[in-house]
Amino acid sequence: MAKSSEYPAYDVWDQHQEWDEHTRKIVAKRRTPDVAHQFLTQQEALTLQAAAAILVDDMRLDVLTYVTQHIDDSLASPVGESQRKVGVPDKKTLYRQGLAFLDEVSRSTHQAEFLALDRERQIEVLTKLESDKDTRIGEWEQLTPKTFFKRVLKDAVDAYYSHPLIWSEIGYGGPAYPRGYVRVEKGLVDPWEAKRHEA
Amino acid sequence: MKHEDRVTHHSDHYQGHRSKELNQRKYADGADICIVGAGAAGGVLAYELAKAGLDVVVIEAGPFWNPQTDFASDELAMKGLGWQDTRLVDGANPLKMGHNNSGRGVGGGTVHFTGVFLRFHESDFMTYTADGVGHDWPIRYADLEPYYDKIERDIAVSGPKHFPWGSFKGPYPYPVREPISANSQLFREACEKLGINSEVAPLAILSAPFEGRPPCINRGFCNQGCMPNAKYSGLIHHIPKAIEHGAEILSDCMVTQILTDGTKVTGVQFDHDGKTYEQKARVVILAGFVVETPRLLLHSATSHFPEGLANSSGWVGKAIMPHSSHDVYGLLQEEVRLYKGTPVLALTQDFYETDRSRGFARGYTLNAHGARPVAMAGAISTQRVDGSLLWGSALRESMLDYNRFARITLVGEVLPHEQNRVTLTDEKDEYGIPRAKVTFSYQENDLLLIDHAVRTMKEIIEAMGGRPAHIVEDTAHLMGGCRMGDDPSTSVVNQYGRTHDIPNLYIAGASTFVTSSGANPTNTVMALAARTADHLIEMMKQREI
Repeated sequence: MAKSSEYPAYDVWDQHQEWDEHTRKIVAKRRTPDVAHQFLTQQEALTLQAAAAILVDDMRLDVLTYVTQHIDDSLASPVGESQRKVGVPDKKTLYRQGLAFLDEVSRSTHQAEFLALDRERQIEVLTKLESDKDTRIGEWEQLTPKTFFKRVLKDAVDAYYSHPLIWSEIGYGGPAYPRGYVRVEKGLVDPWEAKRHEA
Repeated sequence: MKHEDRVTHHSDHYQGHRSKELNQRKYADGADICIVGAGAAGGVLAYELAKAGLDVVVIEAGPFWNPQTDFASDELAMKGLGWQDTRLVDGANPLKMGHNNSGRGVGGGTVHFTGVFLRFHESDFMTYTADGVGHDWPIRYADLEPYYDKIERDIAVSGPKHFPWGSFKGPYPYPVREPISANSQLFREACEKLGINSEVAPLAILSAPFEGRPPCINRGFCNQGCMPNAKYSGLIHHIPKAIEHGAEILSDCMVTQILTDGTKVTGVQFDHDGKTYEQKARVVILAGFVVETPRLLLHSATSHFPEGLANSSGWVGKAIMPHSSHDVYGLLQEEVRLYKGTPVLALTQDFYETDRSRGFARGYTLNAHGARPVAMAGAISTQRVDGSLLWGSALRESMLDYNRFARITLVGEVLPHEQNRVTLTDEKDEYGIPRAKVTFSYQENDLLLIDHAVRTMKEIIEAMGGRPAHIVEDTAHLMGGCRMGDDPSTSVVNQYGRTHDIPNLYIAGASTFVTSSGANPTNTVMALAARTADHLIEMMKQREI
């Protein structure tokens, strides 16, 4: 497995003039995320951001701020959550109770809230949540620490892999309209695509 | 209650008229036909029935999209093309809903489908007779064949000159797609090494200009909405044509109740921007897919139909089926770049028919399938077949290899089972309608089929020179819930989609499927809709409705 980007010279945002306007607006907003939150309290947002940093293995604030903002947006949004398992509360309750539970576990194992723990201990606490399918958070029959962990992981990953900085690192071509691709076959790349190990 | 679409559009559409207001409705005093849902089935019906001179109104819960300004080359932003209203999910294998298997807005699921356009095989219509599993359909392949021909011609399906599986041997109306993506090339080469037949996929995506639309530019965002309009969708083909022929489309309008007068339906009630409206019609066709159609029928119960409309059999909502759709991601030495080109450009159906030596009935299609970062990272982190989660450095380092992954996807037959079903819950949505609960558990035959398919996919990855790195559990599509049949005590509609209980209430779309097949279902949805249209035109001509 690669430990660092194979495309150090590639920045997908360099291509943004080639993108349609709607897409350009959507991606541009991710580069300058808001720090104010609509649903999460300041403390919750910081806790969530710290957990997300561990889950996506990235400490860069600009990316993490966007990840937190995306999750806060979805929590404040009236749009449905597509599916929800019977016995699991709605996403607002899930996040509120789950984040409180994360601090509870931190306090009971390390006598400090999650935010105050060092990276190693944060990983330890999250690992504990990941494997706990038996504890129930609050009154919810199916809200286990693992369920909460999985939800945060999914939401954090959705946002993280939507950030143009991450697209650049993995060599993803990103938006492609109206240009499309001319060279799609094995071993071929269009001139503007990421090239491996090009300094 | 205010509708919650992020994008506001006109909501009343007919020839010469587009308005956000509903104060100049064309068929306010009643229509011949009211279609609920403007998806794959609703679009075909609207067009065919309007062309025949009938007064047609289509009512769609979501917006009338403009591909140029509403769609984007972005995974996260385009999840809104799916039906995101919350459904409760239950069972041993709770389903992923939303963008995974449904659409919302004019065009429905066709707006974000991959465009793979396959026919069912002869055996799909008679699994009980052939294999002793599932149920037989009330029709056979031959009944649908002319409609497959028609739909494929009408929308200029591209595909190979010779198609090696099933009854239809080709050629397709439009030339086969060329070139194909690296992932599809690798898939085909590996299949050849293993003695497996493969072909370039038949696609509802243009390989040459058609009716003013351009051929595909290999942008690769089929699942996010096609911006150049190279891929078929009801939004850009059937619905605009239906409007030309006189149909009216009401978008951002959520049907909340089917209206009845004793033993017949008289129309529907719907909500637009918090106001309630009625649409009267001689015939109502429900084309709202596998969850919403049963939900509406059950919710519309009356003293005459206490168990819900068209539900004297008790089969409304029962025997829903997804396709099993596991993925194998293989890590290669060379770059594949899964983001490039139409997502599915190659497939095999060598494992489609029952082979008793495999220890299970029925079979599957394998598609070489592209993937974008959000979908791939989400799947390999939270949908691993062993139930584990991938996060932290393990996830990040695997995704740094994104460009060296190949991917194969299963479309596996899932047998119908009475306990897999849509029911109503106590929880209400914004319209005060009970939320649907969708219960699903795989049965033994389904699981044996998946095991076999995963083994095959791994072998193909290895034949590419790759290492199967991530095995992901997933489903795709949804079928059943209002199945067709000759026996009114074990089915909801007859072979034309007419409900057994109410002569002027019809159901169209994947919800009428009896079995799931092992192939992408949209072609069959549209062919069945065209067949229902012919039947209805005949019935209405003869004044039998």
